[in-house]
Amino acid sequence: MIDWLSNNAGMSGLIFFFLVFLFVVGWAYRPKAKESMEAHKYIPLEGDE
Amino acid sequence: MNKLNENPIYNNDIVKLFAIATVFWGIVGFAVGVFIALQMAFPVLNFGEYLTFGRLRPLHTSAVVFAFGGNALFATSYFSVQRTCRTRLWGDNWAKFTFWGYQFFIVMAAIGYVTGVTQAKEYAEPEWYADLWLTFVWVAYLVVFMMTLKNRREPHIYVGNWFFLAFIVTVAVLHLANNVAVPVSFLGAKSYPAWGGVQSAMIQWWYAHNAVGFFLTAGFLGIMYYFVPKRAGRPVYSYRLSILHFWSLIFMYIWAGPHHLHYTALPDWAQTLGMTFSIMLWMPSWGGMINGMMTLSGAWHKLREDPVLRFMIISLAFYGMSTFEGPLMAIKTVNALSHYTDWTIGHVHSGALGWVAFISFGALYHLVPILWKRDGLYSMKLVNLHLWIATLGIVLYITAMWVSGIMQGLMWRSYDSMGFLEYSFVETVMAMHPFYVIRAVGGGLFLIGALIMAYNLYRTARGDKSPEMIAAEEIAHA
Repeated sequence: MIDWLSNNAGMSGLIFFFLVFLFVVGWAYRPKAKESMEAHKYIPLEGDE
Repeated sequence: MNKLNENPIYNNDIVKLFAIATVFWGIVGFAVGVFIALQMAFPVLNFGEYLTFGRLRPLHTSAVVFAFGGNALFATSYFSVQRTCRTRLWGDNWAKFTFWGYQFFIVMAAIGYVTGVTQAKEYAEPEWYADLWLTFVWVAYLVVFMMTLKNRREPHIYVGNWFFLAFIVTVAVLHLANNVAVPVSFLGAKSYPAWGGVQSAMIQWWYAHNAVGFFLTAGFLGIMYYFVPKRAGRPVYSYRLSILHFWSLIFMYIWAGPHHLHYTALPDWAQTLGMTFSIMLWMPSWGGMINGMMTLSGAWHKLREDPVLRFMIISLAFYGMSTFEGPLMAIKTVNALSHYTDWTIGHVHSGALGWVAFISFGALYHLVPILWKRDGLYSMKLVNLHLWIATLGIVLYITAMWVSGIMQGLMWRSYDSMGFLEYSFVETVMAMHPFYVIRAVGGGLFLIGALIMAYNLYRTARGDKSPEMIAAEEIAHA
C-alpha cells in the first residue's frame, strides 16, 4: 500500500486534492444551503464600528 | 452563542500604530523607488558603496512589499477580525509585540541591505538572524489572530478572515522552507543556504511567487472582502462565489512558481506545470475581481460620489488587469520575449501600485476617521486629487515599461542576414533611456499622491476641518 502510494504519489495526490476541491464546490453550491450561505455576507455590515 | 447586542471594546490603539507605520513606510519605499528609477536613467546618481542601485533596490522592494504592505495587512486584519468576530483582539501585549517586533525586523533588514549583508535571494534577502526574529514575530501574529477567531461571538468565520489566515499560515511555511541556512559563525552575519543548484532555484521561486500569491494577493483580498462591502454599504455580490474564489486560489497558486524559471536547468515538466497552473489561475482571479466589483451592482452612482470607493474599485480593475497579464507572461513562448526585460517590472508595478497600494489607500482613508473618532476625512477633494495623480503615475509607469520591455526583448533577439546579433547590449540600454525617464516621472507622481494622502490623514487625525467640509456642514444646518 505504502509502496504503491509512494510510486504513484503525484497522480493519487492530484486525484485526492481534485476530489476535495469538487466536494468544497458541491458543498458551497448545494441548492438547499443557498439562503443560509448567502446570509453570511451581511457579517461586515452588522454591528458597530 | 451569538451575543451581537453587546458592544465589545475593540483594540483600536494597535490598529492606529500599524496605520501610521503603513503611511510612513509607504512614503519611504516610494521615495527610494523614485530614486533608484532616477539611478537607472542617470547612472551618475550612484553615490559611494552604500547608495548604489544594487543595494537600494532590495531596500525599495522590501520597504514597499514587507514594510508598507505588511503594516497595511497587520492594520486591516487586526481591524476587521475584531469587527467580523464581534470580539476584542486577543492579547494586547502580544499584539503590541507584533508591532514593535515587526518594525525592528524592517530596520534590521534595511541596515543589512545598505551595508551589503544579503542572502542574495529575491524578496528573501535578510540573513539568518533577521529570519529567525521574523519567525518569532510571525508566530505571535498567528497566535493573536487565531485566538481572536477562537474568542469570536459571531458563529461563522467571515470569508475575509479565511484569506487573512491563509496569508499568515502560508507565508510562515514559505519563509521557513526558503530560508533554511547554516550560519558560518555564531556572531557573523554570513550563512549558506541548505539547498543547492536547481533545487535551490526552484524553492526560491516557489517562495517568491507565493509571496506574490499569498502576501500580495490573499492578504489584500482579505482587505477587499471587508472594506469594499463596508465602504459601499452593501454585502459582497455572492458569498458562495467568495468560497469558490478562496479554495480555487489556494489550491492553484502554490504550483505556479516554476514559470519564473522557463528555459533554465529546471526540468521541462516542472516548467510546463508552472505555466499550466498560471493559466488556470485566470479563473479564480477574475472570479474574485468580478465578485468585488459586482458588490456595487445597482449602486454604481456611489463611485461618482465617493473617491475612497473609487480607489477600491480601480484597485480591483488593476487586479484584473495584472492577473490577466501574469498568466499571459507565464506562457513559454511569450516568456521567451518578456523574461529578463522591463515588461516584468511593469507587470509587477501594475499589481503593486494599482492593486496592492490602491486597496491599501482606500482602506486607510476608511480607517483613519473611525480610529480617531472623526466625522469624516479632512478633505475629499484631496482624496480625489491623490486618486488622479496616482492613477496618472501608474499609467505612465506601466506603459513606459511595456514599450521599453518589448523593445528590449525584440532587440536582444534580432539577427542580421549573416546570423550575427543586430544590437550590442549597450545599444539596448541607450534605447531604454527615454522610457526610464518616463518611469521616474510616473513614480514621482505616485509619491506626490502619497504625500497628499499623508497630509490629509494627518489633518483628519488632528480633527481639522477643511473649508469644503465646513461649507458642507453649514449647508446641512441651514
